[in-house]
Amino acid sequence: MADLRTDLPEAFPTQPIRYLDRTRAWYSALGYEPYRWPHHDDVPFAPMPKPLAQCRLGLVTTAAPFQADKGDQGPGAAYNGSAKFFDVYTSPVSDPADVRISHIGYDRHHTKADDPNTWFPLPRLIEAVEAGTVGSLTHRFYGAPTVRRVRSTTEEHAPAIVQALRDDGADVALLVPT
Amino acid sequence: MCHQTVSLVANAIESAGIPTVVMGAAKDIVEHVGVARFAFSDVPLGNSAGLPHDIGSQRDVLHCALRLFEAAHAPRTTVQTPARWQGDDHTWKRDFMNLEQLSEEAVAKAKAEFERQKELANLNR
Repeated sequence: MADLRTDLPEAFPTQPIRYLDRTRAWYSALGYEPYRWPHHDDVPFAPMPKPLAQCRLGLVTTAAPFQADKGDQGPGAAYNGSAKFFDVYTSPVSDPADVRISHIGYDRHHTKADDPNTWFPLPRLIEAVEAGTVGSLTHRFYGAPTVRRVRSTTEEHAPAIVQALRDDGADVALLVPT
Repeated sequence: MCHQTVSLVANAIESAGIPTVVMGAAKDIVEHVGVARFAFSDVPLGNSAGLPHDIGSQRDVLHCALRLFEAAHAPRTTVQTPARWQGDDHTWKRDFMNLEQLSEEAVAKAKAEFERQKELANLNR
């Protein structure tokens, strides 16, 4: 297992973290089999149908709507599995759900998570529409469940989001993981 | 998992003919899955959309991502946003999920907590 611990972050601190190696080492140490990360040889690419300034944009987030009965979801909350969700949700852009990230393994040591704009750029997107950079936004945004099982994402959640984007007349989509 | 999920969803959306941009902080995960357009910020996870309490940074990161819609002409196009972590001495890169900093006891505790949280999450299925 020693070879799994050779991702020496201090050796090249200007390089991005190698999360694949880091999580593999972590879960191996915890006694789990290595996770098989999916890889696509062929990546689809849809050309822009028109200038962005004329496009309707849909926002996809992995953040979860706040649920008062599901424990601490506030800034600095410990990982909170009970706040996790397993079905795609949508929420109106004009009255958006309060979306939190306590159900996600973000950097809790160096990040306070006390500004939702760092994971949910809706206010900045509304400014971009007002400035004319983006044509408009779809009337709702879309929440993607984060699960280990790839088939749940590819066969259930992704098609549901694609359908919702189509229903809402989205020309382009911006996806923001936490 | 977040970055994997979003990358898979992005590919499904692209396959449906709708252009996407992923705004993320885990470069290797997104590029391993492979996406059409990726705006990468080299900051701690949780800050894909810009620095906390810094509207200027959030605007810069978003505009970098939005420009990519029209700028990219082929899949697997990655650009790096200007976001730099405050007082960046890169300690956050050293600390994240770093086993070297954990005792065996702490690893055992982490495993127990992981299992406990998994059970809590499964109640929502």
